[in-house]
Amino acid sequence: MIELPRNQLPPQADLRIKILGLGGAGANALDRIQLDGANSDELVAINTDTQALTGSVAPHKVQLGAGLTRGLGAGGDPELGYRAAEESADEIRAAIGHANVVFMCVGLGGGTGSGAAPLVASCARDQEALVVVFATMPFSFEGKRRMSQAEESLATLQQSADVVICFENDRMAESVSPRAPIQEAFSVSDQTISQSVRAISSLLRRRGLLHVGFDEIVTALRQQNPRCLFGYGEAEGDHSAHQALERALKSPLMDRGRMLADVQNVLIQVAGGPQLTLNEVQILMEEFNRHISDTTRVLFGAAIDPQLGNRLAVTILSSLDADGAVHSPVVRGAVSHPAPARHIPAERPAVEEPLRVPDSMDFPPQDLLEEALPAETFSDAELPVPQPERPIVSRPVGAPVRPAPRPTAAEVVAAKRETRQEQMQFEPVTRGRFEKSEPTIVDGQDLDVPTFLRRNVRPK
Amino acid sequence: MASEDIVVGLEIGTSKVCAVVGETRRDGTVKILGVGQAPSRGVRKGEIVDFDTAGKCVREALADAEEKSDVMIRSVFLAVTGGHTESFNNRGSVNIPEDREEICEDDFEDVQAAAREVSIPPANMFLHSILQHYYVDGQDGVLNPVGMMGRKLEADFHIVHGVGTRIKNSVRCVKELDIEVEDVVFAPLAAAQVVLDLNQKNLGALVIDIGGGTTGYVVYVDGAIKQSGCLAVGGDHVTNDISLGLRIPMARAERLKVEEGSVILGQSVPGEVLVLKDETGFAGREIEREMLNTIIHCRIREAFELLKRQTDEANYLPFLGAGVLLTGGCSMLQGIDQLAEEVFGLPVHLTHAHTVSGVTSAFENPQFSTAIGLIKYAQAMQGDKPRGWFSRIRRKLPFFGVW
Ligand SMILES: Nc1ncnc2c1ncn2[C@@H]1O[C@H](COP(=O)(O)OP(=O)(O)OP(=O)(O)O)[C@@H](O)[C@H]1O
Ligand SMILES: Nc1nc2c(ncn2[C@@H]2O[C@H](COP(=O)(O)OP(=O)(O)O)[C@@H](O)[C@H]2O)c(=O)[nH]1
Ligand SMILES: [Mg+2]
Ligand SMILES: [Mg+2]
Repeated sequence: MIELPRNQLPPQADLRIKILGLGGAGANALDRIQLDGANSDELVAINTDTQALTGSVAPHKVQLGAGLTRGLGAGGDPELGYRAAEESADEIRAAIGHANVVFMCVGLGGGTGSGAAPLVASCARDQEALVVVFATMPFSFEGKRRMSQAEESLATLQQSADVVICFENDRMAESVSPRAPIQEAFSVSDQTISQSVRAISSLLRRRGLLHVGFDEIVTALRQQNPRCLFGYGEAEGDHSAHQALERALKSPLMDRGRMLADVQNVLIQVAGGPQLTLNEVQILMEEFNRHISDTTRVLFGAAIDPQLGNRLAVTILSSLDADGAVHSPVVRGAVSHPAPARHIPAERPAVEEPLRVPDSMDFPPQDLLEEALPAETFSDAELPVPQPERPIVSRPVGAPVRPAPRPTAAEVVAAKRETRQEQMQFEPVTRGRFEKSEPTIVDGQDLDVPTFLRRNVRPK
Repeated sequence: MASEDIVVGLEIGTSKVCAVVGETRRDGTVKILGVGQAPSRGVRKGEIVDFDTAGKCVREALADAEEKSDVMIRSVFLAVTGGHTESFNNRGSVNIPEDREEICEDDFEDVQAAAREVSIPPANMFLHSILQHYYVDGQDGVLNPVGMMGRKLEADFHIVHGVGTRIKNSVRCVKELDIEVEDVVFAPLAAAQVVLDLNQKNLGALVIDIGGGTTGYVVYVDGAIKQSGCLAVGGDHVTNDISLGLRIPMARAERLKVEEGSVILGQSVPGEVLVLKDETGFAGREIEREMLNTIIHCRIREAFELLKRQTDEANYLPFLGAGVLLTGGCSMLQGIDQLAEEVFGLPVHLTHAHTVSGVTSAFENPQFSTAIGLIKYAQAMQGDKPRGWFSRIRRKLPFFGVW
């Protein structure tokens, strides 16, 4: 069995990352990211609300619009959020410093995050950083107003950031019992954001056998109005490859892999500890290929991450165009059982508090039925769940048509890459021409995968 | 010209379809009347994956052969191969009935049938059972036991089998063109017939036919076939590796392999680069020669090492007095003989059809070995008595019909 090299290449020396958390949601996501082991030096909390800032774990804090909001938050008003950010633009720039990659976590729909995010993104880009935004769209039960604030902010963000990874709270919380308190749903959402931040930063950081670059991430995620498909799974033991993939596909934003059938580009990264074998990677990729269509372009990365120990981790990233899909709400059962108007005041108090859902909240019977079935018992044949719906939020009429995204991100990175062009880089589909033919397996090795790759032979 | 003396060999290869029209002569020689060719499409790793497309290529090649040989083709000997083919050796044994003392012709059929009384996967069918040795009452070295006195006749056979539906697929492809298939022949066996002479077979030899999608091999020891098989790896893999490794299109990679590639490492000037010629999108792209060669080297070495291990496990390597013979299109790779020598530790020769007369130099190409070998095989069959080296298997199997 072939093993990947144990000696870890040092992380790209020139990679300087900052992770910004905007607004209440962003701060909570940062807490989670910190908990998941991020380098806390990189974390920056940005908020109008001093109280929320004080509670944040991030070592760097930026208070927005101290004069304007007097530390009381943006009151759910993006306009206020924007002006607060404008007021504090210098501090924002200082916090970004010399970072060349900026991850920004933000819950869209409120005031601070929605208003400030586009401006913060432009600040970062002005300082030549690549900007990846992890944004959540509000639950549909949060109401139309929040949704349209979120949409508007998202549209602007698409223009000011390099990549926007957009998650829908509705989808993310699908695995959460409808009866569970809303905090639980948010914590699932925080977790997803944290995982994807970690996944993308390690995609960029890990120098594995198959390195994934920023332009590949951009390719996987580029859509006019993207909704992110994200899956992450870890496993250890004999069947770790199979299990990790299965878990990744089970991630709430993956719809058990079914949505993958529709994507144009998908990025998959397989990472493991020093024991990771290429054979495991091959098994996994073969299985993964069954979930995608013939025309899907697979961007593939494999890496060693000593932190993983003997676990194997699979990250899947892709996106669908929300505009191309049916315009319908995505809350389960929402069609036949309109969600009761509920719980989240459209106007939030100036001082933010955790969103709370009354215990009496009723959910449609389907949800209960689903909840009663352990997720593990679902197989494709017996799925009682509705047809996969695309994660959609209807765009407000007259929403600005987004111009094609600036090509700079890909170009910048491509230009950087030019210099190390001759380094072995592989089309992610390592079976190439033999993709569709019966694999040639000898002693458990897929001989269709280039030999030099399996033997990890690199010309000097 | 008696039509039975005209034989057509057809190989539906991964990279080209090749039809050879030959005349088999009573003196044991063969004259090639014409070779028809067409680039192959719809074939992967030696097997048809796109029926209609492959059918068109076969039609094209046959038409080409008809034109060049001025012979109307009605039937062919068809080469088949693929990773699904397998082989083993087995001994058949029959007791001579009490009322008879002499061994007669019928006993051969029985002993062959007995040798095939082994279980092969239910989906598989026999392709060949090739005689290795006879034993009469346990005694070795019997050349022709007919008429010998004995109680027990035994014979060792080399048996080749493969997945029935896949073999039928090739047959169907030809039959749909209204061409009869006289026999199906495991491709490397055919190639070996043209690459080896009798002396080499007796000395012992390993024939390796490296084609586009497969690497077929045959081991002869003491004049008998001891081992044969197909590794579904070939020149396409080399090209694919180059394409992936250097991120260039397949067609580009193929040309680079043929024109510039070598399996020998450390011979290029350090840092030597090849500049890909001006073509859309790839203008001025530089490729390090050593990197190209490394990619090729790794692939070919691996294939050789796998074959070596097979031969070694059966302990045939010490008995290959005539060494290793390389043929097939991929054997034209620069330095491949040197690498083979290094891996096998045996003398290596690059070969193509040289044991046939009447061949013009245009046909002296290792890519044609299999198709020309089919003519030699057919010739062996014609003069074959049931006890001959290649006894034709009675196709009693229902899916084969009568042909
Ligand atoms: N000059 C050359 N140098 C290196 N390789 C070559 C050369 N000419 C042809 N080839 C390679 O030989 C291969 C084709 O060989 P061949 O015609 O024997 O295969 P085939 O019979 O079509 O395939 P198979 O028997 O595997 O189904 C191709 O991969 C081609 O790239
Ligand atoms: N993931 C996550 N999302 C949250 C959380 N709290 C609120 N949200 C979502 O984020 C949106 C904006 O809320 P918030 O960030 O508190 O408002 P802001 O501070 O004014 O930007 C809400 O509409 C929710 O959908 C949280 O703790 N975690
Ligand atoms: Mg916010
Ligand atoms: Mg061939």
